[in-house]
Order: sequence, then structure tokens, then C-alpha cells
Amino acid sequence: MIASVFYFLSFVSIFFAVMVVVSKNPVHSVLYLILTFFSIAGHYLLLNAQFLALVHIVVYAGAIMVLFLFVIMLLNLNAATEPVKSSLMKFAGAIAGGSLMLVLIAVLSKINSIQPAHEVNTQIGLIKNLGKILFTEYNLPFEVASILFLVAMIGTVILAKKNPHTS
Amino acid sequence: MNVVIALTITGILNLFGSIFSYRKITPLLSIIGLTTAIVFNSMYWNTNQSFFNHMMVVDNYAVAFGTVCMVLAACLIIFYNRFMGDNDHHLPEVLSVIVLSVDGAIVMVSYTNLLMLFLGVEILSISFYILAGLKKKDLGSNEAAIKYFLMGAFSTGFLLLGITLIYGATASFDLSVISEYVKLNSTSTNYLLLSGVLLILVGLLFKVAAAPFHFWTPDVYQGAPTIITAFFATVGKIASFGAFYRLFQMCFSPIVNEWSGVIMVVAIITMFIGNITALQQKNLKRMFAYSSIAHAGYMLLALLSHDYLGGNAILFYSIAYGISSMSAFIIIHIIQTQTGTDEAMGFAGLVHKNKTLAMITAISMLSLSGIPLTAGFFGKFYLFSSAIESGYVLLVCLAVINSFIGIYYYFKPVIESYFKDSITDDVIKLKSVETILLIFLSIATILLGIFPGLVPAI
Amino acid sequence: MNTILSIVPIQYYIILSAILFSIGVMGVLTRSNAIIIFMSVEIMLNSVNLLLAAFSTYHNDAAGQIFVFFIMAVAAAEVAVGLAIIVMIYRNINTIDIYNLNKLKG
Repeated sequence: MIASVFYFLSFVSIFFAVMVVVSKNPVHSVLYLILTFFSIAGHYLLLNAQFLALVHIVVYAGAIMVLFLFVIMLLNLNAATEPVKSSLMKFAGAIAGGSLMLVLIAVLSKINSIQPAHEVNTQIGLIKNLGKILFTEYNLPFEVASILFLVAMIGTVILAKKNPHTS
Repeated sequence: MNVVIALTITGILNLFGSIFSYRKITPLLSIIGLTTAIVFNSMYWNTNQSFFNHMMVVDNYAVAFGTVCMVLAACLIIFYNRFMGDNDHHLPEVLSVIVLSVDGAIVMVSYTNLLMLFLGVEILSISFYILAGLKKKDLGSNEAAIKYFLMGAFSTGFLLLGITLIYGATASFDLSVISEYVKLNSTSTNYLLLSGVLLILVGLLFKVAAAPFHFWTPDVYQGAPTIITAFFATVGKIASFGAFYRLFQMCFSPIVNEWSGVIMVVAIITMFIGNITALQQKNLKRMFAYSSIAHAGYMLLALLSHDYLGGNAILFYSIAYGISSMSAFIIIHIIQTQTGTDEAMGFAGLVHKNKTLAMITAISMLSLSGIPLTAGFFGKFYLFSSAIESGYVLLVCLAVINSFIGIYYYFKPVIESYFKDSITDDVIKLKSVETILLIFLSIATILLGIFPGLVPAI
Repeated sequence: MNTILSIVPIQYYIILSAILFSIGVMGVLTRSNAIIIFMSVEIMLNSVNLLLAAFSTYHNDAAGQIFVFFIMAVAAAEVAVGLAIIVMIYRNINTIDIYNLNKLKG
């Protein structure tokens, strides 16, 4: 049962990821990407990472993709205006990506398949446990991440604001 | 730790500059903040303290690299006013981004957890994407920003996949745990670990702009405002190498045979591509972009050394390269605003326009090309001798050949400024603080070239 | 306790992530629309997140999931900056096709 759910979710996520890359219209890409994100959230649930699944939906589908859609609609990019890139470049890109995939799969399928031996704790994905670790052991990264947000916030305002005298 | 706090507070204080109308003094404020941070930083010398469950360690390596980054950032801020001129609507905000990005550099040179490495790299990179696009109406600057952004995000993906695979192999992000694991398993082939190491290598080679992952560099360096290019080429590169060396020396030195081949090939390609392409460039900024790629190639040699010689070599080279590069970019910008050309002929007759500036140009170019009696010479000397001691003689021979190629294009601006007649006769005037700073950088170059022992061993 | 990793081996997750990652790489290399390139980067990051969560369960260690939070946070910050850059460019040239940006050559 679980195995078939895994295969189904994997198929869905790979299929929609391919659709994101090949679809002509950016709005369609965004919608396919949201479906990919939902299937990945399903994977998180399978992996006992419940809180992660929730945050994933909220952050990616809720915030990031809305931002994408917002920009696409603000700039009115929903028409498929992308000019055809030279097919040579496309071909080279596809070959490069394909060989990366082959190499990664060939190498990584060789790793030893040792089952996790120790007693499995299904509680680690719960918010209580994660919160404890985040605010004790990972306290410094948490604070440093706030510097990153500050920089991103200032930068976004600098770049997207119109200069006062030109408007 | 105090360093990060001091820098962050400075960054936040700058932000209020526009509201409480002290925007004029924000450059001064930033420099005071950076100086305070440098003082705090030097107090950590020889203490070797570890912070917050092994997230950061402030050892001599971190102190030295952190100080270099902060000093260079302070030089940049002194010149920032002149550079942006009419475009300083966002002066306090931009200064705060610059100061906060130094935080990223500090984290990158003192992390002991891969999560901190990731955060440091991202703070620095996100600030750089923003800074590259500062000239909002200039298409070149726009192009630089989007190219840097897309390539940076792309390379972050590789870095993260590498970190993940290493986590898969070792079950930890902590460098000491990883290095224990690598020591225990250095004899057997562990595909998970090795592919992780290679992917991290790809991600970091992107960040230090080594060939074949250098293709974004010339465009970004050319398109970004010149002062920001100086920031990318000095602080960005030095912090990335600080992170690079720390990771590979601390964790992956037991399996050096697995990745040294990659580094060797990359170093050779990088040096040749950088130097030979630089020869053909007319645009000076582009030429210096390629030359900074070549310098990345030399610095990769230090990664191959088996002992702590490599750390000292890379530190000395960073200092020498940092100060010479910084003054070179500053001079390019001064020439650029004066003559309106980006090409070497802008330097024509510089000696008649401003004797000091011509002198400083000559010193920084000599140092960049590695002529004796300048810091650049000892930088190269230490790097090459650390590589020879680890047995990479052929590699060092190729590097020496490359240094000779480098001399040719570094001398172009010097020859122009001393032996060509200028098109215009305007005298170039500098503010006294700017002249003092440039002279200070040149004196430092010469002093380090005569007394290399001034840089303490780490 | 019957968990997913006793039914689906960890290799399957590694291969799934490798496939998703490579799809993202192909997207970056073959498309020229900045927004779609950016979405491909998001696919790459998500494949990494998935793999981290899988390893976290595999090692029975929460650090992997914590890392995923940080990747999400950074991705969100990056998206904000990236879209600001795209808006800035669109104001100047009315397109976001990166092949129309070819001023810098040497």
C-alpha cells in the first residue's frame, strides 16, 4: 500500500516537474509547479515529517508561488512570447542535464542498501521536537538567517522602488 | 561573535539614516562600525573559541580572513560616495547591505557546521545580486544582476545537493563529526560521500569563479558598478576561498587523492583561460575579470597542500591580491569617470595628470603580476612553494608560465600611463582622504613585499 | 513500527531526487525565460529538500529537517530578490527573455 503511494507520488512529481520545464506558458508552469509541490508534501507525510509537509505547503504553494503568479500577472507575461532559443543550445542543455542525471543515478544506485537498524522514532517530525532542536542546538543559524532576511528585504526595496525624481 | 553583532547593529543603524536625517554621516558610521568590528575581531586572536554548539569557531584562521574582508569593505565604503555620485538615493540602504554582507563573509570563514556555510554563502550572494543591479537604469547593470542571480541560485543547488549527500553518508552537518567519519572511512570507496564532495566542489568552484564554471564572471564584473566589482573581486573571492579551504582542509584531507585530480585540472584550465582571454580584452574591467579568474586558479593550488602551509599561503595571497585588486579597480573607476572610456587608452599620459595616481597604478599592477619587492611576489612564492612541497611540480611550472603571460596585460595600463601622450590635459583631482587611502594601500603592498613576516602565521 | 523506509529503500528516494534535480538542471539550461529558469531552480531546491527529509528519517535525526526549514527560508528570500530584479529589468526593456540582455560581450 505505502509502496504504491510512493510510486504514485513519485510519478506525479516527476511528471509535473517535466511539465514545468516544457510548458510554453509561464502561468501553466506555475500551476504545474504547485502540483509538484503538493506531491512532494505527500512524500514528506510518508516520511513522517508532518510539520515539514505543512510548512512546505504554506511557504511554497502559499507564499513563493503566489509571488511568482503575482509578478507574472503584474508584468502581463502570461502570453507565450518566448522566442525560440536556437535548437543547438537546447539540445546541448538537454544533453548536459541528461548526462548529469545518468551519472548521478549510476553512482548513487551503487550505495550499500543497509536498512536503518536502530529503533525508528516517529516523533522527530513533530513541531514540539523540531522547535526544541531549532531553538537550542540551532539557535545561532536561526539568528543568522534573520540577517539574511534583513538583507533580502532591504535589497528588494532598493531594486523594485522607482527612483523619486524619474517618476 | 561580537563581530557579527557589531556589524549587524551598524547595518541596522544605517537603515535609520534616511528617517532621522543623518544620511550624510552614514558612510562615517559604517566605517566606525567596521573598525569596532575589526577591534573585536582582533581580540579573538589565539583564543580559539567555539560558539553555540559548535556552529562557529573563531580561530586564528577566521580572525585573519575576517579582518582582511572587513578592511577591504572599509576601503570600499570610503570610496563609495565618489563612485555612485548622482545615484545615491539609496546611500544608507546600500551601505547597510554592504556592511551586512560582510557578516556573511565572517560566517563563511568561521563556520564549523555546513548549515552555517550555507547561510554565510547565501547572505553574501544575496547581497551581491542586489549590489550588482544598483544602477537600475543601466542595462549592463541589470544584465549583471540577473545573470549573477540565476547562476548563483543554480550553483547553490549544487552546493546543497552536495551537503545533503554528505549528510546522508555521515548523519551530521558538523564538520568535526564529518572529519571523523572521513578519517575512519578513507580507505573504502563511499559513493555517497564522494559524490557529495564533488557536488560541493562544483558549487564552491562556481562561487570562486574557477573555469569551467567562470562564464558568468566577465559579464557580471563588467556590468556591475565598478566599485561593486571591486567588492566582488576582493571580499567575495577571499571569503569564498576562506570557506573552501576550511572545508576541504578540515574534512576532506584524508581523501585528498579522490579530489586532488579535479582541483589540478580545474586549476590548470582556470589559469590558462583566465590569462589567455585577458590578453585579448580591450575593456579594462573585463580584462580584470579574467585576471581575477586566473588568480582563482593560483589560489586553488593552496588547496592541494597537505599541511597548514596552504592556509598561510592562501591568507598571504588573499591579502596581497585583495589590496592590489582593490586599488586597481578604484583607479579604473577614477580613470573611467575622468575620460569616459573603459579601455586601457584611458590611462594615456596619466603621469602628467596625477603623478601619485600613476605611481599607485604601477605599484598595484606590479603586485598583481607578481614582481619582486611587492606583496604579490611573496603571495605567489608561498602558494607555489606550498604546492611544490606537496609534490605538484608540473602544476607549479604551468602556474609560473601563466604568471609570465599575466605580466603582459598588467603592464598595458602602466605603459599607457608613463609612455603615451594623453588626449586631454585635465588634472585629476582626488579628495585627500582618497589619496591617503590609495597611498596607504600601496605602502602596504610594498611593505609586505619587503617584510613578508608582517603577516602572522595562522 | 512499520515505516516507509523498510518498504521503500533509501536508494529510491536518492534516485527520485536525482531525477528531479536533473529536470531542474535541464530547465535552467534549455529555457530562456527568466521566470521559468527560476522555477527550475526551485525544482532543484525541492529535490534537495526531499532528499534531506528522507535522510533525516533514515538516520533518525531531526537535523536534516531543520536544514530543510533553512533552505525554504533562504529560497523565499531569494525569490523576493530575484523577482525584484526581474521587475527592475522589465521596467527597462519590457521583456524578461535573458537573450535580449546581451549588452555585455568581450
